[in-house]
Amino acid sequence: MSGPSRLSVRNIRKSFGTHEVLKGISLDAKDGDVISLLGASGSGKSTFLRCINLLEIATEGEIFVDGEEIRMVKKGGRNQPASQKQVDHIRSELGMVFQSFNLWSHMTILQNVIEGPVHVLKRPRAECIAEAEALLEKVGIVDKRHAYPAHLSGGQQQRAAIARALAMKPKAMLFDEPTSALDPELVGEVLRVMRALAEEGMTMLVVTHEMSFARNVSNRVVFMREGVVDSSGTPEEMFGGGGSPAFRQFIGHLGPA
Amino acid sequence: MDIAFLSQTMLTLIKAVPTTLILFALSVFFGGLLALLIVWMRVSGNRLLAGFARGYIFVFRGSPLLIQMFLVFYGLGQFGVIRYSFLWPFLREPMVCAVLSLALCTAGYSAEIFRAGLRAVPTREIEAARAIGMSGFLLVRRILAPIAFRHALPAYSTEIVLMMKSTALASLVTVWEVTGVAQRLISQTYRTMEVFLCAALIYLALNFIILQALSLLEYALSKHRRAPPTSPSPIPR
Amino acid sequence: MMTSLQLLGFGSGGWGALLLLGALITLAVTASALAIGAVLGALVAAMKLSGRPLRAAVGHVYTTVFRGVPELLIIYLIYFGGSSAVTALGHALGFEGFLGLPSFLAGALAVGIISGAYQAEVYRGAYLAIPPGELEAALAIGMSRRLRLRRIVLPQVIRFAIPGLGNVWQLSLKDSALVSVTGLAELMRTSQVAAGSTRQYFLFYIVGGCLYLILTSLSDRVFKGAERQADRSQSAAMIGRG
Repeated sequence: MSGPSRLSVRNIRKSFGTHEVLKGISLDAKDGDVISLLGASGSGKSTFLRCINLLEIATEGEIFVDGEEIRMVKKGGRNQPASQKQVDHIRSELGMVFQSFNLWSHMTILQNVIEGPVHVLKRPRAECIAEAEALLEKVGIVDKRHAYPAHLSGGQQQRAAIARALAMKPKAMLFDEPTSALDPELVGEVLRVMRALAEEGMTMLVVTHEMSFARNVSNRVVFMREGVVDSSGTPEEMFGGGGSPAFRQFIGHLGPA
Repeated sequence: MDIAFLSQTMLTLIKAVPTTLILFALSVFFGGLLALLIVWMRVSGNRLLAGFARGYIFVFRGSPLLIQMFLVFYGLGQFGVIRYSFLWPFLREPMVCAVLSLALCTAGYSAEIFRAGLRAVPTREIEAARAIGMSGFLLVRRILAPIAFRHALPAYSTEIVLMMKSTALASLVTVWEVTGVAQRLISQTYRTMEVFLCAALIYLALNFIILQALSLLEYALSKHRRAPPTSPSPIPR
Repeated sequence: MMTSLQLLGFGSGGWGALLLLGALITLAVTASALAIGAVLGALVAAMKLSGRPLRAAVGHVYTTVFRGVPELLIIYLIYFGGSSAVTALGHALGFEGFLGLPSFLAGALAVGIISGAYQAEVYRGAYLAIPPGELEAALAIGMSRRLRLRRIVLPQVIRFAIPGLGNVWQLSLKDSALVSVTGLAELMRTSQVAAGSTRQYFLFYIVGGCLYLILTSLSDRVFKGAERQADRSQSAAMIGRG
């Protein structure tokens, strides 16, 4: 838990118009950290995640991936990445898993998984296919590799999306509510894959509503409220009655985990 | 820019607008009536009538309007039966031929549009009407037609604008509507761009007026799709 | 007096060969127009989607004008306007007298400009039909703008655009009949000349119309086939679910 810093975010602020969604958030993820980001909807946790891989551009703040700072410039009073090339590079090092899977519907599952390695990383195709098949085996859908996404159940699609992100050999994985769009009976299969990843030592940042995951898999829990980090700590601290009153109220609403 | 020439051109072209409007109004009217007949045949359940309607739609949508118009204008006069019939005094009029072919053509397109509207009428609403004892023409007039027309209106609006553009073809059978007059001006003055600009403005203005009118109609016919009127509450929104 | 069959035949005095040639020229005008319209349409769609007010406005004016003004008027604009331009250019280079724009070129250009306005709307709709999440996933994996366009956007736009392009093709096929006013011997013009010189108006307009029907229904089949081909991933899903 004390490896080098994989991901470091300092004082991120983000406004949409006059509405400030993130009011200065800092976070450090060391190698192998699994951090659960909790919070009511509207607390800014998804926006925060999207700021890290620059799907949203933070109004202020610094982001370091594996020690490399994402360079920003002010352009017309607004923060802009200094180099699109660096942005593309950083993104290729961070795996992102979306709530709505976002598999490319015109490609088969295998094509989805090898797309990034072949075309972004420009690695040999045969090698990528072999690796992709191993990844699909790992997430349990290798038999679906020639199917199109619309063929698959939500749980299978999300597992394919995880394989697609893993194929880039990311330095850290970002999960944006990966199970929220799934039918309850399909949540388990995705959580199992995520748990296996965590046990292998993957650095993970997970926005979730799954209290069992936060409690049993992650090693740190961060509770966000109204654009700031309200409280954070180990699952034992947070769920053992140590969280802030707001956090206790939040998990109380959701019922016992 | 030659303002004098532009305004002169505009005036000349505007004089032809009534002809364009008459062509348009008559062919939309007769085309609409004919379309209703074709749709009725198409959904009648009678295989002969449905087959005829299908063939009609195929022919008039599948071939260019210009060839249909020439067929009516030049082709019909070739037959003695028609030449010596009481219809001939009408059919030798370019205006009648133009309206006839425009109406025949738009009927094919409109019939398909109306049919799509009919298919969008929910079966359960038809059943509900039957359940209270409606049938036949009453069912069509009170339930089917209003719902179907509302569904068909957006596509029908597009068809109506296409009709406005199609009236230009009447100039090729010597009806002097806006495009015909514009063509004559171009070949007299060789000032293509200016004449085009004026004529284009006229058509765009006509389209705009028609589309506005149709969207007003659409608005009036979609009370049920709008949010319910809020009770007069002082809450500012 | 020749019989109808002889008039339509391929022997001497028969118009069969010329009518078929006319049909081929009609196809060639339409195909060229589709290609010209594809370039213009993609450009105009990109302008309308650019999010920049000035470009979007130019794109909007283009689609409004060329979908709202009679096709015939646009053909006059290109044919006469183009010829004046060519004549002016000719004078500058020392040629005397009136120079015409070749009627095939004028026709393909005019129908292409109209086709471009309709194609722009087809491409715009197809782009908007791409689920935004799929574009985001492409961003998230680190794809550059170019790569995104080539690997994610274009394949999907083409797939979604096929039914719309089929409609535009049919529209252009019928618009191409208006090019006959420039004297280009495509199917409409050939039917007209045959009808006029034989006085068999009815016969030749019916035959010309039938040839158009053959062209439109054949091309309808081609586009339906292409649609099925491109929709494989979608229809496979329906079977898979069943």
